[in-house]
Amino acid sequence: MGLTGLLLVGFLIEHLLGNFKLLEDSTGEAFNEYVLWLKSFGPLLQLAELGLAALFLCHIALALRLTLENLAARKQKYVVRGTHGEKTPGSVTMFITGALITGYLVKHLLDFRFDERYFEDPAAFVKLTLSQPQHGLAYLMAAFVVGLHLSHGFRSAFQSLGLSHPALNAYLQKLGIAIAVLFATGFAVFPLYFLFAWNGPAR
Amino acid sequence: MSGDPTSSMGFTLKIWRQSAPDAKGTMETYHVADVSPDMSFLEMLDVLNESLIGEGREPVAFDHDCREGICGACSLVIDGQAHGPETETTVCQLHMRHYSDGATIHIEPFRANAFPVLKDLVIDRSAFDRIIAEGGFISTHTGSAPDANAITVAKDLAERAMDAAACIGCGACVAACPNSAAMLFVGAKVSHLALLPQGQAERNRRGLAMVARMDQEGFGNCTNHFECMAACPKGISVENIARLNRELLRGALAPRRV
Ligand code: HEM
Ligand code: FES
Repeated sequence: MGLTGLLLVGFLIEHLLGNFKLLEDSTGEAFNEYVLWLKSFGPLLQLAELGLAALFLCHIALALRLTLENLAARKQKYVVRGTHGEKTPGSVTMFITGALITGYLVKHLLDFRFDERYFEDPAAFVKLTLSQPQHGLAYLMAAFVVGLHLSHGFRSAFQSLGLSHPALNAYLQKLGIAIAVLFATGFAVFPLYFLFAWNGPAR
Repeated sequence: MSGDPTSSMGFTLKIWRQSAPDAKGTMETYHVADVSPDMSFLEMLDVLNESLIGEGREPVAFDHDCREGICGACSLVIDGQAHGPETETTVCQLHMRHYSDGATIHIEPFRANAFPVLKDLVIDRSAFDRIIAEGGFISTHTGSAPDANAITVAKDLAERAMDAAACIGCGACVAACPNSAAMLFVGAKVSHLALLPQGQAERNRRGLAMVARMDQEGFGNCTNHFECMAACPKGISVENIARLNRELLRGALAPRRV
């Protein structure tokens, strides 16, 4: 769980950096070049995509088993449910945010990866899609959801892998929150920009 | 024991009553009066039971033994918190002065499939014993007490082993965990032996064996909420869970004879 989670974080970093190519110029040339560059890897890119898909499937399968076992471990629930103050909004919603990410992932792939029109002019197509409220708002929400998942997930993965040291844990905790905020705002930039600040396709 | 009227308190108690392991339980309401603020939570329940017995009613069954915070027998969830609201305090050491007069207090047993309710607030924690039997011991011959410092142990390791060994096996970690996981308990038991020279002989198999048993007993999986650490009356740190995870990796990678 921890290993697949952290590897996914690695993918997210690359993905976010790639996205920023969208904002590099107004013509979208930078982003399109980046897409072409990725495509130039040919079979290697396909291998990477397969690996990534496998990574997601492993993470999801482990998450499902973990969550089902945990739900089953206390059949008689507490009448009064309290807390000792350590649970966080992120930690108690891991499965829900995970499931939302899965749904969003399917949408995301259908929107771009499996849409023929995307590859004609990737940058223009992304901009057009994100500027439509029904898509833009969905992506905005997804950015928040990924952030919430990571607000717990990042710190949690280190503990699950046994990487813990009294002198470092407080920093890890803060780094986790920082990464969550970074990804949430980083990914939110694009729908926000194309929804509200963009003047439509360049003529 | 009923104190002077100026300092006597009364409470409304909503208590889980369950007549037998497979019976259906419910929360029932009781009123208790003449409680001194200096009484412990268990003494307050004693007062209630005295009056129930006086009325010819069935007293509330609850577990207790030492009543000085060292045995781990007492095990109540009070208003949704294992061992109640005070940090690093067992129920037997929780005093009624922490409550305001007239308060309503909800009392439930520690809940987890692996800790079946026997009666009312009494649960069966023998799952912990079975986990210990899988590896929470050393099998070297210790003989009579050795000379001090015959086996040298670095001070910080000794301290950390001692901190882990403070676990009284009460099960509050399981009760407080949203997943009913027992990783803090197993982490503490594995840690205190892994940190000491005497624990090395079985080190590579200990964690794996105890965790396998833990899963078999039906405890959940740790997702690092860290509620256990906050609930623990002995302040056992989740550092021990990270160490357990390392011990599992170490055990899994260790060469073994086929
Ligand atoms: C952008 C993609 C994702 C990233 C970067 C990610 C990251 C992480 C990380 C770092 C962890 C912590 C692992 C641990 O503590 O051992 C985690 C846990 C988890 N993830 Fe994901 N995840 C992603 C997608 C998903 C998806 C699609 C699901 C689908 C259900 C999911 C469900 C879960 C669950 C249930 C947990 C464990 C709960 C917990 O530790 O509290 N995640 N994730
Ligand atoms: S009765 Fe022994 S710890 Fe509470």
